[in-house]
Amino acid sequence: MPSAATLRPLGIAAFACLAGGGCAPQAVTEQGRRINGLYDIFSVTAAVIFVIVVGLITWSLLRYRSKSEEEIPAQTRDNVPLELLWFAIPQIIVVALFAITVSAQEDVGAQSSAPNVEVRVEGFQWGWRFTLESESVTVSGTSDAPPKLVLPVGRTIAFSMTSNDVNHSFYVPKFLMKRDAIPGEPNRFDVTIEEPGTYPGVCAEFCGLLHETMNFNIQAVQPAAYEAWLNEQRAGNGNG
Amino acid sequence: MATVEHAQPAPVPRTGIVAWLTTTDHKKIGILYLYSSVAFFLLGGVMALLMRAELARVGLQFVDRSLYNQLFTMHGTAMMFLFIVPFAVGLANYLLPLHIGAPDVAFPRLNAFTYWLYLLGGLTVMSGFLTVGGAAAFGWTGYAPLSTATYSPGAGPDLWIVGLLLTGVSTTLGAINFMATIFGMRAPGMTMFRLPIFLWNIIVTSALIMFTFPVLTAALAALFIDRNLGGTFFEPAAGGDAVLWQHLFWFFGHPEVYIAILPFFGIVTEIIPVFSRKPVFGYKGFVLATLLIGAYSFSVWAHHMFTTGAVSNPFFSATSMLIAVPTGIKFFNWIATMWRGNITLRSPMLFCMGFLFMFLMGGITGVFLASPPINYAVHDTYYVVAHFHYVLFGGSVFAVFAGLYFWIPKMSGRMLSEGLAKIHFVLMLIGMNLTFFPQHQLGLNGMQRRIPDYSEASGYEGLNLLSSIGAGLIALSILVFLVNFFVSMRTGKVAGDDPWGGYTLEWATSSPPPEHNFHRLPPVRSERPVYDARVKLGGRRDRG
Repeated sequence: MPSAATLRPLGIAAFACLAGGGCAPQAVTEQGRRINGLYDIFSVTAAVIFVIVVGLITWSLLRYRSKSEEEIPAQTRDNVPLELLWFAIPQIIVVALFAITVSAQEDVGAQSSAPNVEVRVEGFQWGWRFTLESESVTVSGTSDAPPKLVLPVGRTIAFSMTSNDVNHSFYVPKFLMKRDAIPGEPNRFDVTIEEPGTYPGVCAEFCGLLHETMNFNIQAVQPAAYEAWLNEQRAGNGNG
Repeated sequence: MATVEHAQPAPVPRTGIVAWLTTTDHKKIGILYLYSSVAFFLLGGVMALLMRAELARVGLQFVDRSLYNQLFTMHGTAMMFLFIVPFAVGLANYLLPLHIGAPDVAFPRLNAFTYWLYLLGGLTVMSGFLTVGGAAAFGWTGYAPLSTATYSPGAGPDLWIVGLLLTGVSTTLGAINFMATIFGMRAPGMTMFRLPIFLWNIIVTSALIMFTFPVLTAALAALFIDRNLGGTFFEPAAGGDAVLWQHLFWFFGHPEVYIAILPFFGIVTEIIPVFSRKPVFGYKGFVLATLLIGAYSFSVWAHHMFTTGAVSNPFFSATSMLIAVPTGIKFFNWIATMWRGNITLRSPMLFCMGFLFMFLMGGITGVFLASPPINYAVHDTYYVVAHFHYVLFGGSVFAVFAGLYFWIPKMSGRMLSEGLAKIHFVLMLIGMNLTFFPQHQLGLNGMQRRIPDYSEASGYEGLNLLSSIGAGLIALSILVFLVNFFVSMRTGKVAGDDPWGGYTLEWATSSPPPEHNFHRLPPVRSERPVYDARVKLGGRRDRG
């Protein structure tokens, strides 16, 4: 499996990215990095296909450009073996891409039976409420004062999305992950954050007038600092 | 030489505006469709320009949030429902009877009814802007519960629903009319496997319309009931289901994407052989690929719903990737048609080449989106916006102009300027890539769709400015086209019957054709009757 790390110094990955439209930012979660790897494989495949198809079209245009309008070229109508070949090759490519997709999805979508941290994410017009039930801590905020949720690195975190009004979508770009918060429809994803830092999040599903202002921040810290933050929350306005 | 004479009753002489208002002639109705759909294209384009102006810089400068939300909703609605599909319907209206050697469609009055119903529906949708609360502002996908009365009160959304119901019924009736015409009114010798590939695309498109538009109609009716008559179809608190709307909408909505692209595949497949001086390569392969796309398109809808957690992601991922294969076959058949041909890059061919390059990009990013883990990252971001504009602008709209440059001489009797067409092409190609290519990266970086503004800290400003400049170039290119059109219609070179050395039957009659289409038909022995007749006469002097 060509990993991005080995290709990038050669500049191949950067070129390959162009065929996918751009480069995916390096994710900060274990699951996100798996998506990075998948995206890079798709990009390399796309680049190869792009170069071949664009090459064939360009070659046709340059080589078979009309020199004399009187000339009638051979009136070729079909070539069944050739057509079967270009039916089979894309079929094999998509089956391969599907296989690695399924394998990646099993990792990315894996849900722990005993996550270290369970976060109930509630989207509302227009803000977020994050509840750590087992810790009796809730943080919430709206457009004017976006909420900040502190989480430990290296631990399994389960996010469960809900909504009581319209559809929202919990999206942290640096996780390369989003999941919808739909009224009456449970939804969940697990991540393990690997790098400490502050990661902005937004609502990705259009939810009305102030959709774009529905921001939040996730601050990933060492487990000890997380425990300290929990205590601080419980001591202060723990009910948020 | 065997010919077929059509006996026609003398047409009722009507002139001027009355003739246009009362016409049942498929060519006049086709032209009405084309003018109306292009008018909605320009309207939708102005909305896009307003949005790009707003997004060029950080901060809200030109429109407020409420108006911005109306603009992106109505832009999508106008382009999907009132421009791209009706444009295809208009072109098919004009060409279909000509292509099969018939004097008109099977039900001419129904045809007139579908046009006026479409126009009424379109104006109803747009009239939302005149209401106190403004037009619908929940996106062209109308997701419930946001689109219910609780969260989107007012008359604008109801006008949106009713207008789309009307155009939906119109489109369905039109599809039935097309099917009846193709299956019942082909000239002697015009077997199914001699139909122009364009019509095979119209057959599959019509089938998709007949199966999916009624689902949209039902969903819109249910939403209307929820909003106005106390229904709870999409109200989770009362036992309804919010995800149900997404299923109904996308069960219609993804075949809709193929309804919006297949006719344009057809246009490109008609034009490339003519300008390569070769027959289409792999006729039956094209037919098979078109049928496969139609069949697969019913099983891919939930790839719009990977992040809902409510669908089987692997299943819909598999079908969504599979549907790339028949599209790939078409690509290779187009290239094989050009291979060892005698290619002339006249304006229609130029736009077909633009189509090939741009649609390729949209097709490739489509496979990325079909992979759920990648989709989790880029769903509902500008990556998706970039993807579907490469498909629908880079694909369909380039084919729209290829078709216009190719067939306007037939419809009007005058040629458009090749020089202005080339300027149009270059500006549109540069503008399109400048507008939409940077949006891939914006989406990967995390810029979500449907936002009127972004923060300084996000770092999105540079690429957005680039994108907005590109939108200006596209607008300029469209102005060049309009100038070309209006000037050429007065002073353009006279086209003659067959300016391009065409293959299909419309080139066997005058430009524009008489009311009953043909005085006489050449014999139909292959899918290229006009080519056959020309070769038999030994003449290649008929190229304009």
